[in-house]
Amino acid sequence: MFVILVYDFGERRVAKALKICRKYLTWIQNSVFEGDITEGKFKMLTLELERVMDKDNDSLIIFQFRSKRYSDRLVIGLEKNSLNHII
Amino acid sequence: MKKDIFIFKDGELKRKDNTILFLGEEQQKYLPIEQVDAIWVFGEVTLNKRFLEIISTKEICIHFFNHYGYYLGTYYPREHLNSGLVILKQVNLYSQDSMRMPVAKEIIKTAVKNILIVLKYYRSRSKLVSSGIETIESMATQIEKCQDINELMAYEGNIRGVYYQNFNDIIDNDNFQFIKRSKRPPLDGINALISFGNSLMYTSVLSEIYKTHLDPRIGILHATNGRKFSLNLDIAEVFKPIVVDRIIFNLINRKVITEKDFKKQTHGTMLTEKGKKKFLKEYTDKMMSTIKHPRLNQYVTYKRLIRLELYKIQRHIVEGDNYKGFVARW
Repeated sequence: MFVILVYDFGERRVAKALKICRKYLTWIQNSVFEGDITEGKFKMLTLELERVMDKDNDSLIIFQFRSKRYSDRLVIGLEKNSLNHII
Repeated sequence: MKKDIFIFKDGELKRKDNTILFLGEEQQKYLPIEQVDAIWVFGEVTLNKRFLEIISTKEICIHFFNHYGYYLGTYYPREHLNSGLVILKQVNLYSQDSMRMPVAKEIIKTAVKNILIVLKYYRSRSKLVSSGIETIESMATQIEKCQDINELMAYEGNIRGVYYQNFNDIIDNDNFQFIKRSKRPPLDGINALISFGNSLMYTSVLSEIYKTHLDPRIGILHATNGRKFSLNLDIAEVFKPIVVDRIIFNLINRKVITEKDFKKQTHGTMLTEKGKKKFLKEYTDKMMSTIKHPRLNQYVTYKRLIRLELYKIQRHIVEGDNYKGFVARW
């Protein structure tokens, strides 16, 4: 499945969230990640994030798509990180 | 789905926060470690042991290529799927001609069927390949009669020779005339494309073998010698026509790759970095594209198809289910 993940964590936990997300998804801009992920890996990711988050103060929103077929990706202005796998 | 990463830039591969960081001269890029299948290194990259440690625990292979794009070797992390039984049976199969020949024949027969599928597709697109198809079909009937591996390899070589001659009828660009197959180094553009494409296929199959219990050092058709992996060469035979050759025809006929993408070296002709990237783009797109599998009734990628082929070999070796190769349907 394809996911877009956005988080808004408190200052003390935000770096931890960043590091966890980097293991599973591609960073595209501040606090936003995207990428294809399997169900199992997705569970691992959310579990890891839940462990560090403070549920009263932090928020985590994940958009899930079964495929990218019905969506378009529009970039206006600077693309901070390209998704190219040929570096 | 895990992805392959191709690195052309010079820089450093590092372990950072339990994931991969590529530090180039002007860019730094985090690669999500859980989504990396294998890393292919074409540029000048430095890495250290700490990096290899994390790569090994995540079971990621790193393939290295030299300046000319030749395959150098693979960092093949310690086997995570160990099975003495499979290795024993593999050796047993290799050392007994009565067991080895039927599988070797099936591999060649499948490869030839796939060659014919490719040629027939171009015949339907009114390319003049009918005589080639007839010659190959008549030669293919001889395969069954082969007594030993060398004879089999000779037939395969002859069939491939006829097939390569047909490249000239499929490709409508005079700059890419196929005259003679030349390797190490390839002497002209078309040979450079074939060599580069084939080495990619060998490497992809090796990555997949790592995920099975099979030992890549023990081949079936190709002789097991002191230096190389050989099982990947066998399985690649099946997929070369339907993946690599089709990409070559597409790239040339759509004029994506032109003479500008090659450079003359002192001894031969090589793809430039730009040319390699164009080829790789097409190659990864192809490997990740899906087809409906006739038996599984499921959509599978070409990459997955390679793994399924290896499982079939493994089942043949361990459980004695007769191996039947994958033949493309169009």
